[in-house]
Amino acid sequence: MGARRGGWIVLGLALAVLASVWRLDLIAALGAGRDGLGELLRFVARFATPDLAPAFLATVGQGALETVAISLIGTLLAVIGGAALALPASGRFGWLARSAARFALNALRSVPELVWATLTVLAAGLGPFAGTLALALHTSGVLGRLYAEALENAPPVPEAALRDAGAGGLAAFFYGTLPAAAPQWIAYGLYRWEINIRMAAILGFVGAGGLGAQLYYALSLFQEARAATLILAMLLLSLAVDALSGVLRRRLAG
Amino acid sequence: MTAIRLEALGLTHPGGRVALAHLDLTIAAGERVAVIGPSGAGKTTLLRVLGASLRPSHGAVRVLDVDPWALSGPLLQGLRARIGKMHQSPPIPPRQRVITAVLAGRLGQWSVWRALRSLIYPLDVPGARAVLDRLGLGERLFDRCDQLSGGQLQRVALARVLYQQPALMLADEPVSALDPALARAVTVALNDDARRRGATLVASLHAVELARSEFSRVIGLRDGRIVFDCPAAQLGDADIAALYAGAAATPAMPEASPVRPRLTRCA
Repeated sequence: MGARRGGWIVLGLALAVLASVWRLDLIAALGAGRDGLGELLRFVARFATPDLAPAFLATVGQGALETVAISLIGTLLAVIGGAALALPASGRFGWLARSAARFALNALRSVPELVWATLTVLAAGLGPFAGTLALALHTSGVLGRLYAEALENAPPVPEAALRDAGAGGLAAFFYGTLPAAAPQWIAYGLYRWEINIRMAAILGFVGAGGLGAQLYYALSLFQEARAATLILAMLLLSLAVDALSGVLRRRLAG
Repeated sequence: MTAIRLEALGLTHPGGRVALAHLDLTIAAGERVAVIGPSGAGKTTLLRVLGASLRPSHGAVRVLDVDPWALSGPLLQGLRARIGKMHQSPPIPPRQRVITAVLAGRLGQWSVWRALRSLIYPLDVPGARAVLDRLGLGERLFDRCDQLSGGQLQRVALARVLYQQPALMLADEPVSALDPALARAVTVALNDDARRRGATLVASLHAVELARSEFSRVIGLRDGRIVFDCPAAQLGDADIAALYAGAAATPAMPEASPVRPRLTRCA
Protein backbone atom coordinates (compact mmCIF):
# COMPACT_ATOMS: atom_id res chain seq x y z
CA MET A 1 0.00 0.00 0.00
CA GLY A 2 2.73 2.45 1.06
CA ALA A 3 4.99 1.41 -1.82
CA ARG A 4 2.22 1.88 -4.35
CA ARG A 5 1.42 5.37 -3.03
CA GLY A 6 5.15 6.24 -3.20
CA GLY A 7 5.17 5.11 -6.84
CA TRP A 8 2.28 7.40 -7.69
CA ILE A 9 4.00 10.33 -6.00
CA VAL A 10 7.24 9.75 -7.99
CA LEU A 11 5.26 9.46 -11.20
CA GLY A 12 3.38 12.67 -10.43
CA LEU A 13 6.62 14.53 -9.69
CA ALA A 14 8.21 13.25 -12.91
CA LEU A 15 5.20 14.42 -14.91
CA ALA A 16 5.38 17.84 -13.24
CA VAL A 17 9.11 18.16 -14.13
CA LEU A 18 8.45 17.14 -17.73
CA ALA A 19 5.57 19.58 -18.02
CA SER A 20 7.75 22.40 -16.62
CA VAL A 21 10.58 21.66 -19.07
CA TRP A 22 8.11 21.68 -21.92
CA ARG A 23 6.39 24.85 -20.70
CA LEU A 24 9.69 26.76 -20.27
CA ASP A 25 11.03 25.61 -23.64
CA LEU A 26 14.28 24.57 -21.98
CA ILE A 27 15.10 22.02 -24.67
CA ALA A 28 14.61 24.57 -27.40
CA ALA A 29 16.78 27.05 -25.47
CA LEU A 30 19.66 24.56 -25.20
CA GLY A 31 19.09 23.30 -28.72
CA ALA A 32 19.20 26.82 -30.12
CA GLY A 33 22.76 25.92 -30.76
CA ARG A 34 25.93 25.09 -28.96
CA ASP A 35 26.37 28.78 -29.43
CA GLY A 36 23.84 29.52 -26.66
CA LEU A 37 25.70 27.36 -24.18
CA GLY A 38 29.08 28.72 -25.31
CA GLU A 39 27.85 32.26 -24.92
CA LEU A 40 26.79 31.45 -21.36
CA LEU A 41 30.20 29.96 -20.53
CA ARG A 42 32.04 32.92 -22.02
CA PHE A 43 29.83 35.23 -19.93
CA VAL A 44 30.71 33.35 -16.74
CA ALA A 45 34.41 33.40 -17.66
CA ARG A 46 34.42 37.20 -17.78
CA PHE A 47 33.64 37.14 -14.04
CA ALA A 48 36.73 35.04 -13.28
CA THR A 49 39.06 38.04 -13.05
CA PRO A 50 37.73 40.51 -10.50
CA ASP A 51 38.82 44.14 -10.88
CA LEU A 52 41.23 44.78 -8.00
CA ALA A 53 42.50 48.23 -8.97
CA PRO A 54 43.06 50.27 -5.77
CA ALA A 55 40.86 53.16 -6.91
CA PHE A 56 37.97 50.82 -7.59
CA LEU A 57 38.54 48.93 -4.34
CA ALA A 58 38.26 52.23 -2.48
CA THR A 59 34.88 52.82 -4.14
CA VAL A 60 33.80 49.30 -3.18
CA GLY A 61 34.91 49.98 0.38
CA GLN A 62 32.72 53.09 0.45
CA GLY A 63 29.79 51.04 -0.88
CA ALA A 64 30.40 48.31 1.70
CA LEU A 65 30.44 50.86 4.51
CA GLU A 66 27.21 52.33 3.18
CA THR A 67 25.61 48.88 3.07
CA VAL A 68 26.69 48.13 6.65
CA ALA A 69 25.34 51.50 7.76
CA ILE A 70 22.00 50.91 5.99
CA SER A 71 21.57 47.47 7.55
CA LEU A 72 22.72 48.57 11.01
CA ILE A 73 20.62 51.75 11.27
CA GLY A 74 17.67 50.03 9.58
CA THR A 75 17.78 47.17 12.10
CA LEU A 76 18.26 49.52 15.08
CA LEU A 77 15.26 51.61 14.03
CA ALA A 78 13.31 48.37 13.63
CA VAL A 79 14.29 47.23 17.14
CA ILE A 80 12.94 50.52 18.52
CA GLY A 81 9.83 50.49 16.33
CA GLY A 82 9.22 46.79 16.96
CA ALA A 83 9.52 47.26 20.73
CA ALA A 84 7.18 50.26 20.64
CA LEU A 85 4.55 48.25 18.75
CA ALA A 86 5.12 45.04 20.72
CA LEU A 87 3.97 46.66 23.98
CA PRO A 88 0.39 47.35 22.77
CA ALA A 89 0.42 44.19 20.61
CA SER A 90 1.02 42.03 23.68
CA GLY A 91 -2.23 43.34 25.12
CA ARG A 92 -0.99 45.65 27.89
CA PHE A 93 -3.15 48.61 26.86
CA GLY A 94 -6.43 46.80 26.19
CA TRP A 95 -7.87 44.92 23.26
CA LEU A 96 -8.40 47.96 21.05
CA ALA A 97 -4.72 48.98 21.15
CA ARG A 98 -3.82 45.31 20.76
CA SER A 99 -5.86 44.91 17.58
CA ALA A 100 -4.59 48.19 16.13
CA ALA A 101 -0.96 47.30 16.86
CA ARG A 102 -1.36 43.79 15.44
CA PHE A 103 -2.90 45.23 12.27
CA ALA A 104 -0.02 47.70 11.90
CA LEU A 105 2.54 44.91 12.42
CA ASN A 106 0.85 42.70 9.83
CA ALA A 107 0.76 45.54 7.32
CA LEU A 108 4.44 46.40 7.85
CA ARG A 109 5.49 42.77 7.63
CA SER A 110 3.44 41.66 4.65
CA VAL A 111 4.99 44.28 2.34
CA PRO A 112 8.46 42.96 1.32
CA GLU A 113 11.58 45.12 1.73
CA LEU A 114 11.98 45.55 -2.04
CA VAL A 115 8.45 46.90 -2.37
CA TRP A 116 8.99 49.22 0.61
CA ALA A 117 12.22 50.37 -1.07
CA THR A 118 10.49 51.27 -4.33
CA LEU A 119 8.00 53.29 -2.26
CA THR A 120 10.62 54.99 -0.06
CA VAL A 121 12.77 55.84 -3.09
CA LEU A 122 9.74 57.62 -4.52
CA ALA A 123 9.07 59.37 -1.21
CA ALA A 124 12.61 60.15 0.01
CA GLY A 125 14.60 60.16 -3.22
CA LEU A 126 17.38 57.86 -4.43
CA GLY A 127 20.03 56.96 -1.87
CA PRO A 128 20.85 55.16 1.37
CA PHE A 129 18.17 56.94 3.40
CA ALA A 130 15.45 55.26 1.32
CA GLY A 131 17.10 51.85 1.85
CA THR A 132 17.39 52.38 5.60
CA LEU A 133 13.75 53.38 5.83
CA ALA A 134 12.61 50.38 3.78
CA LEU A 135 14.52 47.93 5.97
CA ALA A 136 13.29 49.63 9.14
CA LEU A 137 9.64 49.43 8.05
CA HIS A 138 9.59 45.77 7.07
CA THR A 139 11.80 44.62 9.96
CA SER A 140 9.69 46.55 12.50
CA GLY A 141 6.77 44.39 11.47
CA VAL A 142 8.77 41.17 11.82
CA LEU A 143 10.47 42.07 15.11
CA GLY A 144 7.32 43.61 16.60
CA ARG A 145 5.46 40.35 16.29
CA LEU A 146 8.33 38.27 17.72
CA TYR A 147 8.84 40.79 20.53
CA ALA A 148 5.14 40.73 21.41
CA GLU A 149 5.23 36.93 21.62
CA ALA A 150 8.29 37.07 23.88
CA LEU A 151 6.43 39.51 26.15
CA GLU A 152 3.34 37.31 26.27
CA ASN A 153 5.47 34.30 27.23
CA ALA A 154 7.37 36.15 29.97
CA PRO A 155 6.09 35.29 33.48
CA PRO A 156 3.76 38.06 34.73
CA VAL A 157 4.50 37.54 38.43
CA PRO A 158 7.65 39.68 38.88
CA GLU A 159 6.11 42.77 37.29
CA ALA A 160 2.83 42.31 39.18
CA ALA A 161 4.77 42.06 42.45
CA LEU A 162 6.60 45.33 41.74
CA ARG A 163 3.32 47.09 40.85
CA ASP A 164 1.90 45.74 44.09
CA ALA A 165 4.81 47.35 45.95
CA GLY A 166 3.99 50.76 44.50
CA ALA A 167 6.24 50.83 41.41
CA GLY A 168 5.03 52.74 38.36
CA GLY A 169 4.07 50.90 35.19
CA LEU A 170 7.20 51.72 33.20
CA ALA A 171 9.64 50.95 36.03
CA ALA A 172 7.83 47.70 36.85
CA PHE A 173 8.05 46.65 33.21
CA PHE A 174 11.78 47.39 33.00
CA TYR A 175 12.57 45.61 36.29
CA GLY A 176 10.00 42.81 36.15
CA THR A 177 9.28 41.70 32.60
CA LEU A 178 12.09 42.99 30.38
CA PRO A 179 14.81 40.83 32.03
CA ALA A 180 12.88 37.74 30.90
CA ALA A 181 12.25 39.00 27.37
CA ALA A 182 15.52 40.85 26.68
CA PRO A 183 17.67 37.84 25.67
CA GLN A 184 15.14 36.88 23.01
CA TRP A 185 14.79 40.49 21.89
CA ILE A 186 18.55 40.78 21.43
CA ALA A 187 18.87 37.42 19.66
CA TYR A 188 16.02 38.21 17.24
CA GLY A 189 17.49 41.68 16.54
CA LEU A 190 20.94 40.27 15.73
CA TYR A 191 19.43 37.55 13.55
CA ARG A 192 17.46 40.13 11.58
CA TRP A 193 20.65 42.17 11.20
CA GLU A 194 22.26 39.16 9.45
CA ILE A 195 19.30 38.99 7.07
CA ASN A 196 19.27 42.75 6.56
CA ILE A 197 22.95 42.99 5.55
CA ARG A 198 22.08 40.75 2.57
CA MET A 199 18.91 42.67 1.92
CA ALA A 200 20.75 46.01 2.10
CA ALA A 201 23.10 44.76 -0.62
CA ILE A 202 20.15 44.00 -2.86
CA LEU A 203 18.10 47.14 -2.18
CA GLY A 204 20.58 49.16 -4.30
CA PHE A 205 18.99 47.60 -7.37
CA VAL A 206 15.93 49.77 -6.87
CA GLY A 207 18.07 52.84 -6.15
CA ALA A 208 18.44 52.59 -2.38
CA GLY A 209 22.24 52.97 -2.22
CA GLY A 210 25.12 50.75 -1.06
CA LEU A 211 26.89 47.89 -2.84
CA GLY A 212 23.72 46.93 -4.67
CA ALA A 213 23.58 50.24 -6.51
CA GLN A 214 27.21 49.79 -7.65
CA LEU A 215 26.51 46.21 -8.74
CA TYR A 216 23.51 47.37 -10.70
CA TYR A 217 25.59 50.00 -12.53
CA ALA A 218 28.41 47.54 -13.24
CA LEU A 219 26.04 44.95 -14.69
CA SER A 220 24.18 47.58 -16.72
CA LEU A 221 27.49 48.67 -18.29
CA PHE A 222 28.67 45.03 -18.85
CA GLN A 223 31.66 45.56 -16.49
CA GLU A 224 31.80 41.91 -15.42
CA ALA A 225 35.18 42.23 -13.66
CA ARG A 226 33.84 44.99 -11.43
CA ALA A 227 30.61 43.07 -10.84
CA ALA A 228 32.69 40.08 -9.72
CA THR A 229 34.55 42.27 -7.20
CA LEU A 230 31.26 43.62 -5.86
CA ILE A 231 29.76 40.14 -5.49
CA LEU A 232 32.88 39.02 -3.61
CA ALA A 233 32.59 42.08 -1.37
CA MET A 234 28.95 41.23 -0.59
CA LEU A 235 29.93 37.67 0.25
CA LEU A 236 32.73 38.77 2.61
CA LEU A 237 30.49 41.37 4.21
CA SER A 238 27.73 38.92 5.01
CA LEU A 239 30.23 36.35 6.32
CA ALA A 240 31.78 39.01 8.57
CA VAL A 241 28.38 40.12 9.88
CA ASP A 242 27.31 36.52 10.53
CA ALA A 243 30.46 35.92 12.57
CA LEU A 244 30.16 39.19 14.50
CA SER A 245 26.47 38.61 15.21
CA GLY A 246 27.23 35.09 16.42
CA VAL A 247 29.81 36.39 18.89
CA LEU A 248 27.48 39.16 20.10
CA ARG A 249 24.60 36.74 20.49
CA ARG A 250 26.66 34.42 22.67
CA ARG A 251 27.88 37.30 24.84
CA LEU A 252 24.67 39.30 25.18
CA ALA A 253 21.90 36.74 25.05
CA GLY A 254 23.62 33.68 26.50
CA MET B 1 -1.40 54.86 65.76
CA THR B 2 -3.00 51.79 64.28
CA ALA B 3 -1.37 50.03 61.36
CA ILE B 4 -4.43 48.01 60.46
CA ARG B 5 -8.11 48.14 61.32
CA LEU B 6 -10.65 45.74 59.87
CA GLU B 7 -14.34 46.10 60.70
CA ALA B 8 -16.89 43.42 59.80
CA LEU B 9 -14.69 42.61 56.85
CA GLY B 10 -15.79 39.90 54.43
CA LEU B 11 -14.54 38.69 51.08
CA THR B 12 -16.50 36.46 48.75
CA HIS B 13 -14.79 35.27 45.56
CA PRO B 14 -16.66 35.78 42.26
CA GLY B 15 -17.50 32.07 42.26
CA GLY B 16 -19.43 32.50 45.51
CA ARG B 17 -16.82 30.88 47.75
CA VAL B 18 -16.45 32.75 51.02
CA ALA B 19 -12.76 33.40 51.77
CA LEU B 20 -13.10 35.76 54.74
CA ALA B 21 -16.18 36.24 56.87
CA HIS B 22 -16.91 39.05 59.33
CA LEU B 23 -13.40 39.81 60.55
CA ASP B 24 -12.76 42.46 63.19
CA LEU B 25 -9.09 43.08 63.75
CA THR B 26 -6.92 45.92 64.99
CA ILE B 27 -3.13 45.83 64.79
CA ALA B 28 -1.16 48.67 66.39
CA ALA B 29 1.93 50.12 64.78
CA GLY B 30 5.04 48.15 65.74
CA GLU B 31 3.21 44.88 66.49
CA ARG B 32 4.66 41.68 65.06
CA VAL B 33 1.82 39.32 64.26
CA ALA B 34 1.93 35.73 63.04
CA VAL B 35 -1.13 34.32 61.26
CA ILE B 36 -1.41 30.54 61.46
CA GLY B 37 -4.03 28.11 60.31
CA PRO B 38 -4.63 25.13 58.02
CA SER B 39 -4.44 25.34 54.24
CA GLY B 40 -7.35 27.21 52.74
CA ALA B 41 -8.03 29.12 55.96
CA GLY B 42 -7.81 32.44 54.12
CA LYS B 43 -4.32 33.52 55.21
CA THR B 44 -3.21 34.57 51.74
CA THR B 45 -6.47 36.40 51.07
CA LEU B 46 -6.21 38.23 54.41
CA LEU B 47 -2.65 39.33 53.65
CA ARG B 48 -3.67 40.55 50.21
CA VAL B 49 -6.48 42.60 51.74
CA LEU B 50 -4.01 44.06 54.26
CA GLY B 51 -1.62 44.83 51.41
CA ALA B 52 -4.22 46.88 49.50
CA SER B 53 -3.99 44.35 46.67
CA LEU B 54 -7.44 42.83 47.00
CA ARG B 55 -10.63 44.78 47.59
CA PRO B 56 -12.94 43.25 50.23
CA SER B 57 -16.57 42.72 49.30
CA HIS B 58 -17.99 43.75 52.71
CA GLY B 59 -16.92 45.84 55.66
CA ALA B 60 -14.24 48.46 56.15
CA VAL B 61 -10.47 48.26 55.90
CA ARG B 62 -7.93 50.86 56.98
CA VAL B 63 -4.23 50.34 56.29
CA LEU B 64 -1.68 52.78 57.75
CA ASP B 65 -4.62 55.01 58.77
CA VAL B 66 -6.20 55.31 55.33
CA ASP B 67 -8.91 53.48 53.43
CA PRO B 68 -7.02 52.22 50.36
CA TRP B 69 -10.15 51.94 48.25
CA ALA B 70 -11.07 55.58 48.77
CA LEU B 71 -7.73 56.68 47.30
CA SER B 72 -7.09 57.80 43.75
CA GLY B 73 -4.63 55.82 41.60
CA PRO B 74 -1.42 57.72 42.44
CA LEU B 75 -2.24 57.86 46.17
CA LEU B 76 -3.00 54.13 46.24
CA GLN B 77 0.35 53.57 44.52
CA GLY B 78 1.97 55.74 47.20
CA LEU B 79 0.33 53.67 49.95
CA ARG B 80 1.54 50.42 48.37
CA ALA B 81 5.07 51.83 48.25
CA ARG B 82 4.94 51.94 52.08
CA ILE B 83 3.96 48.25 52.30
CA GLY B 84 6.63 45.61 51.78
CA LYS B 85 5.61 42.12 50.67
CA MET B 86 7.29 38.73 50.74
CA HIS B 87 5.90 35.68 48.98
CA GLN B 88 6.48 31.98 49.27
CA SER B 89 8.27 31.92 45.91
CA PRO B 90 10.40 35.01 45.30
CA PRO B 91 8.96 37.03 42.37
CA ILE B 92 12.39 37.85 40.91
CA PRO B 93 13.34 37.41 37.23
CA PRO B 94 16.01 34.65 37.08
CA ARG B 95 18.35 36.62 34.82
CA GLN B 96 18.37 39.74 36.99
CA ARG B 97 21.45 40.60 38.98
CA VAL B 98 21.12 40.41 42.76
CA ILE B 99 21.80 44.13 43.21
CA THR B 100 19.08 45.10 40.71
CA ALA B 101 16.59 42.79 42.39
CA VAL B 102 17.34 44.43 45.76
CA LEU B 103 17.27 48.01 44.47
CA ALA B 104 13.86 47.27 42.90
CA GLY B 105 12.50 47.51 46.46
CA ARG B 106 12.56 51.31 46.22
CA LEU B 107 10.95 51.60 42.78
CA GLY B 108 7.84 52.95 44.51
CA GLN B 109 9.89 55.81 45.96
CA TRP B 110 12.09 56.52 42.94
CA SER B 111 11.18 58.59 39.92
CA VAL B 112 11.00 56.76 36.62
CA TRP B 113 14.24 58.41 35.46
CA ARG B 114 16.08 57.36 38.56
CA ALA B 115 14.79 53.79 38.06
CA LEU B 116 15.92 53.66 34.43
CA ARG B 117 19.29 55.24 35.24
CA SER B 118 19.86 52.60 37.89
CA LEU B 119 19.41 49.90 35.24
CA ILE B 120 22.40 51.29 33.34
CA TYR B 121 24.52 51.54 36.45
CA PRO B 122 23.21 50.58 39.95
CA LEU B 123 22.72 53.82 41.88
CA ASP B 124 22.95 52.65 45.49
CA VAL B 125 25.61 49.94 45.67
CA PRO B 126 26.48 50.66 49.36
CA GLY B 127 22.83 50.54 50.41
CA ALA B 128 22.19 47.20 48.71
CA ARG B 129 25.47 45.79 50.03
CA ALA B 130 24.63 46.83 53.61
CA VAL B 131 21.30 44.99 53.49
CA LEU B 132 22.76 41.87 51.84
CA ASP B 133 25.65 41.80 54.34
CA ARG B 134 23.13 41.49 57.17
CA LEU B 135 21.77 38.35 55.45
CA GLY B 136 25.18 36.86 54.62
CA LEU B 137 24.90 37.52 50.89
CA GLY B 138 27.18 40.54 50.49
CA GLU B 139 29.51 38.52 48.25
CA ARG B 140 26.77 37.78 45.73
CA LEU B 141 25.95 41.43 44.95
CA PHE B 142 26.79 41.22 41.24
CA ASP B 143 25.80 37.59 40.60
CA ARG B 144 22.79 36.69 38.56
CA CYS B 145 19.79 35.41 40.50
CA ASP B 146 19.64 32.13 38.55
CA GLN B 147 23.03 31.27 40.06
CA LEU B 148 21.53 31.28 43.57
CA SER B 149 19.94 28.43 45.49
CA GLY B 150 16.28 28.63 46.52
CA GLY B 151 17.19 29.69 50.04
CA GLN B 152 19.57 32.37 48.81
CA LEU B 153 16.95 33.68 46.41
CA GLN B 154 14.41 33.98 49.22
CA ARG B 155 16.98 35.96 51.21
CA VAL B 156 17.39 38.28 48.20
CA ALA B 157 13.62 38.77 48.27
CA LEU B 158 13.91 39.55 51.99
CA ALA B 159 16.76 41.99 51.24
CA ARG B 160 14.48 43.74 48.75
CA VAL B 161 11.80 44.25 51.41
CA LEU B 162 14.36 45.39 54.01
CA TYR B 163 15.83 47.84 51.48
CA GLN B 164 12.34 49.20 50.81
CA GLN B 165 12.08 50.12 54.54
CA PRO B 166 8.28 49.90 54.54
CA ALA B 167 6.10 50.96 57.47
CA LEU B 168 4.16 47.68 57.13
CA MET B 169 5.72 44.35 56.19
CA LEU B 170 3.51 41.51 54.98
CA ALA B 171 5.00 38.06 54.45
CA ASP B 172 2.89 35.28 52.94
CA GLU B 173 4.47 31.99 54.00
CA PRO B 174 7.96 33.39 53.44
CA VAL B 175 9.75 30.36 54.87
CA SER B 176 7.57 27.42 53.78
CA ALA B 177 10.04 26.33 51.10
CA LEU B 178 13.14 26.69 53.31
CA ASP B 179 14.93 24.24 55.57
CA PRO B 180 14.29 24.72 59.33
CA ALA B 181 17.55 26.55 60.10
CA LEU B 182 17.13 28.99 57.23
CA ALA B 183 13.42 29.39 58.03
CA ARG B 184 14.34 30.52 61.54
CA ALA B 185 17.08 32.85 60.27
CA VAL B 186 14.72 34.56 57.80
CA THR B 187 11.95 34.88 60.40
CA VAL B 188 14.38 36.32 62.94
CA ALA B 189 15.73 38.82 60.39
CA LEU B 190 12.19 40.01 59.57
CA ASN B 191 11.37 40.46 63.26
CA ASP B 192 14.67 42.18 64.06
CA ASP B 193 14.15 44.65 61.26
CA ALA B 194 10.58 45.39 62.35
CA ARG B 195 11.71 45.89 65.97
CA ARG B 196 14.63 48.12 64.99
CA ARG B 197 12.56 50.43 62.79
CA GLY B 198 9.32 50.22 64.76
CA ALA B 199 7.60 48.80 61.66
CA THR B 200 4.55 46.55 61.76
CA LEU B 201 4.96 42.94 60.63
CA VAL B 202 2.25 40.47 59.69
CA ALA B 203 3.40 37.04 58.50
CA SER B 204 1.51 33.87 57.73
CA LEU B 205 3.36 30.73 58.77
CA HIS B 206 3.04 26.99 58.77
CA ALA B 207 5.72 26.57 61.43
CA VAL B 208 3.79 27.04 64.68
CA GLU B 209 6.95 27.01 66.79
CA LEU B 210 8.40 29.99 64.90
CA ALA B 211 5.12 31.87 65.36
CA ARG B 212 5.28 31.34 69.11
CA SER B 213 8.95 32.07 69.63
CA GLU B 214 9.59 35.05 67.34
CA PHE B 215 6.36 37.08 67.13
CA SER B 216 4.58 39.17 69.73
CA ARG B 217 1.05 38.11 68.81
CA VAL B 218 -0.48 35.08 67.12
CA ILE B 219 -3.78 34.93 65.23
CA GLY B 220 -5.37 31.58 64.41
CA LEU B 221 -7.42 31.64 61.22
CA ARG B 222 -9.71 28.90 59.98
CA ASP B 223 -12.42 28.91 57.32
CA GLY B 224 -12.06 32.66 56.93
CA ARG B 225 -12.71 33.39 60.64
CA ILE B 226 -10.48 34.28 63.55
CA VAL B 227 -10.39 31.33 65.97
CA PHE B 228 -8.02 32.91 68.49
CA ASP B 229 -6.03 36.11 68.77
CA CYS B 230 -3.64 36.39 71.72
CA PRO B 231 -0.11 37.36 72.77
CA ALA B 232 2.35 34.69 71.70
CA ALA B 233 3.32 33.98 75.30
CA GLN B 234 -0.26 33.06 76.24
CA LEU B 235 -0.86 30.68 73.36
CA GLY B 236 -1.55 27.15 74.63
CA ASP B 237 -1.10 23.80 72.93
CA ALA B 238 -4.83 23.19 73.19
CA ASP B 239 -5.56 26.28 71.05
CA ILE B 240 -3.26 25.00 68.33
CA ALA B 241 -4.65 21.48 68.44
CA ALA B 242 -8.17 22.89 68.11
CA LEU B 243 -7.12 25.13 65.22
CA TYR B 244 -5.77 22.24 63.14
CA ALA B 245 -8.19 19.53 64.34
CA GLY B 246 -9.58 17.57 61.42
CA ALA B 247 -7.90 19.81 58.86
CA ALA B 248 -6.82 18.09 55.66
CA ALA B 249 -3.25 19.38 55.53
CA THR B 250 -0.77 18.85 58.32
CA PRO B 251 0.75 22.09 59.55
CA ALA B 252 4.34 21.03 58.89
CA MET B 253 3.88 20.42 55.19
CA PRO B 254 4.38 23.24 52.70
CA GLU B 255 1.22 23.33 50.62
CA ALA B 256 2.75 24.12 47.27
CA SER B 257 5.96 23.62 45.37
CA PRO B 258 8.13 26.74 45.46
CA VAL B 259 7.87 27.31 41.70
CA ARG B 260 4.11 27.84 41.72
CA PRO B 261 3.37 31.53 41.20
CA ARG B 262 1.53 32.68 44.29
CA LEU B 263 1.01 36.33 43.63
CA THR B 264 -1.76 37.35 41.32
CA ARG B 265 -2.18 40.60 39.47
CA CYS B 266 -2.85 43.63 41.60
CA ALA B 267 -6.45 44.68 41.74
